[in-house]
Amino acid sequence: MNSKHSLTRGRTAARWRAGAAVMAVAALSLTACSGDNGAATDSDDDSAAPVVEETGPVTIRFSWWGSDTRHETTQKVIELFEEKNPNITVTPDYTDWGGYWDKLATTVAGGDTPDVMTQEERYLSDYAARGVLADMNDLPIATDKIDSTVLESGQIDGGLYGVATGVNAYSIVADPAIFEEAGVEMPDDTTWTWEDFVDIANEISANTPDGTYGVQDFGGNEAGFSIYARQHGESLYDADGKLGYSEQTLTDWNQMMLDIIDGGGEPDAARSVEIAEGGPEQSLLGTNKGAMGFWWSNQLSAISAAAGRDLVLLRAPGESEAERTGMYFKPAMYYSVSKTTEHPAAAAKFVDFLLNDPEAGALILSDRGLPANTDVREAVAGDLAPADQQAADFLASLSDDIVDGPAVPPEGAADIPEITSRINTELIFERMSAADAAKQFTQEAAAAIGQ
Amino acid sequence: MAVVTELRKSASGKGKDPARKSAAHRGDAKAALFFLGPWFLGLIVITLGPMIASGYLSFTDYSLLEAPHWIGLDNYTRMFDDPRLLNSLKVTFTYVIVSVPLQLAAALALAMLLDRGLRGLAFYRSVFYLPSLLGGSVAVALLWRQVFGAEGLVNQFLALFGIQGQGWVSHPDYALGTLIILNVWTFGAPMVIFLAGLRQIPQMYYEAAEIDGAGRWRKFRNITVPLLTPIIFFNLILQLINAFQTFTQAAVISGGTGGPADSTMVYTLYLYQKGFASLDMGYASAMAWLLLAIVAGMTAVNFLASKYWVFYND
Repeated sequence: MNSKHSLTRGRTAARWRAGAAVMAVAALSLTACSGDNGAATDSDDDSAAPVVEETGPVTIRFSWWGSDTRHETTQKVIELFEEKNPNITVTPDYTDWGGYWDKLATTVAGGDTPDVMTQEERYLSDYAARGVLADMNDLPIATDKIDSTVLESGQIDGGLYGVATGVNAYSIVADPAIFEEAGVEMPDDTTWTWEDFVDIANEISANTPDGTYGVQDFGGNEAGFSIYARQHGESLYDADGKLGYSEQTLTDWNQMMLDIIDGGGEPDAARSVEIAEGGPEQSLLGTNKGAMGFWWSNQLSAISAAAGRDLVLLRAPGESEAERTGMYFKPAMYYSVSKTTEHPAAAAKFVDFLLNDPEAGALILSDRGLPANTDVREAVAGDLAPADQQAADFLASLSDDIVDGPAVPPEGAADIPEITSRINTELIFERMSAADAAKQFTQEAAAAIGQ
Repeated sequence: MAVVTELRKSASGKGKDPARKSAAHRGDAKAALFFLGPWFLGLIVITLGPMIASGYLSFTDYSLLEAPHWIGLDNYTRMFDDPRLLNSLKVTFTYVIVSVPLQLAAALALAMLLDRGLRGLAFYRSVFYLPSLLGGSVAVALLWRQVFGAEGLVNQFLALFGIQGQGWVSHPDYALGTLIILNVWTFGAPMVIFLAGLRQIPQMYYEAAEIDGAGRWRKFRNITVPLLTPIIFFNLILQLINAFQTFTQAAVISGGTGGPADSTMVYTLYLYQKGFASLDMGYASAMAWLLLAIVAGMTAVNFLASKYWVFYND
């Protein structure tokens, strides 16, 4: 791993700048980032070349991941774009999330990088640092309507390597019907503690028939721990791109998982593993077998559809319990442009269209997160489906209490989801103690991010 | 049987055939070259070329996204500090050592059953061969996930006897077991080869043995097995190599994760994850060469050992 990371030496300061600014609601961070190109990297070299628009027929390729509904929507958006720009043809190249990164890495290796692609925060650093992505500051893409705090989440070392499509928040989805069935009152999510949460989960399992549970196992997604750590004044990654939590905090987090298992609040371990693989449709909430689960806010509509009933979003527990609030806005995904694209003008035009065109926005709605373009966000507000509308209102209600965003995940963070879910499996099968699991995670995560 | 003869020749170093050099056969050689040409082309472009490339990449830090840099033996030395690599070797060896003998035993048993002059033999042969055609496919691996899932067929069957089953594929103690069963189930290919081998054993040996009063077991032990050893050996080598390279089933059944808790993380799956998910293609290439060394080593050991138990009737 040593040499793999050698190229990123000296990025620490820049990372701090990017990190401090990410998704922050605090306006202060704006000044920390503005116009500073001091930390030059190898990817800044050819930024001078002006982008000339081509007049002849041009074909660009757009890669994205997602579900069938997204593929259909995106296809419509592409058709609309081609109608407005008759000389540009956009070739769609899509796959599900699972196969996306393998495929993208392989096409990049083959020198066939898609001209435009969707990126994700845990991969953005890896791809940007390795010179795959174009600095979008140099491309004619209008970003003035993009929520500035969101825009900065795509900035690394002063370059803009992705423009966030929209925002999400990791939160609890709850099924009021099961709460009622269990005779448990819905919690006040502005004040509930983690202890309340564990008690509620266990009580619901106890008060409902076998096979209905309080909560779906949630230890397999590091976003939950990220919130917990932030509530305790720590973080999963700090601004320097290192691990920013104490092992004790992670041990406590793990212990809570064991408390829920002991109290019967979540299914047995084998069951949890099976459910986790099933996605939103097979989730406890989606199958009306659980009262709560941690999900990204834009998944509410998919889960509600699977459940066939109205579900609600709740804040994570413990937001008023410890030192500060821990929830944050996450850029749902980014649009990025290949650094080696032969048609930078067409690629830029397409990204600009995806981000800023009201008609495109009306098709995409909140599928890629609540739109980052504030005009588009307002324009589509009336068209959102009820569940999406609820998610939008929920995000709006959070914005006063969210202090800042976590730092940009460092290079190597792409390995963290796998490590998290594997060690969580060890934990819930009780093959590791809470403390051992914390130690093991820290060790592997540190190695992954080259710490 | 032709393959077996070839195998035998290469094993005993008796492959030279003076007749081949005669003028009459020169035309044949040209034709052979013509027909083998496409295969050679495939070998060079699809197998040999990438192998050489991977040999080079194994000494680099290739990440797929950037040009590789030479780092010497780093990838190879790193393997010693990789507990997950050791775990994947453990998983793979368990898989190979348990599933291959069971699979061969099942194949031989079925072959003997079918060899008894059943009516509609062709039908049964096809039916038992079917899993081999399907077993490597993604569809069957997906089916397996359902069958051994918490609410799968297996648990419904167990429930008939009042046994409370569990999610077999999602429990670290049992997940590998489901993979082994899947591999055993695909015994069709070795079965067909066994069947051909059984047909080659002259009936007169059995008749002679019967006159001498040999029972069924005695005939199996002293006639069938010894005369079948070259076939057993051939099947063993083939299935061993196959099993070491198993990928699809483990990848699909675990959803690509090798989970739960790395319990189905076979070597090739770990290699794939390293190369394509962790973007550590240099290391993955080194792993591929280690696998080649292991498989070659195992095969060599088997060839050496074969001197003591394989009986060539010539």
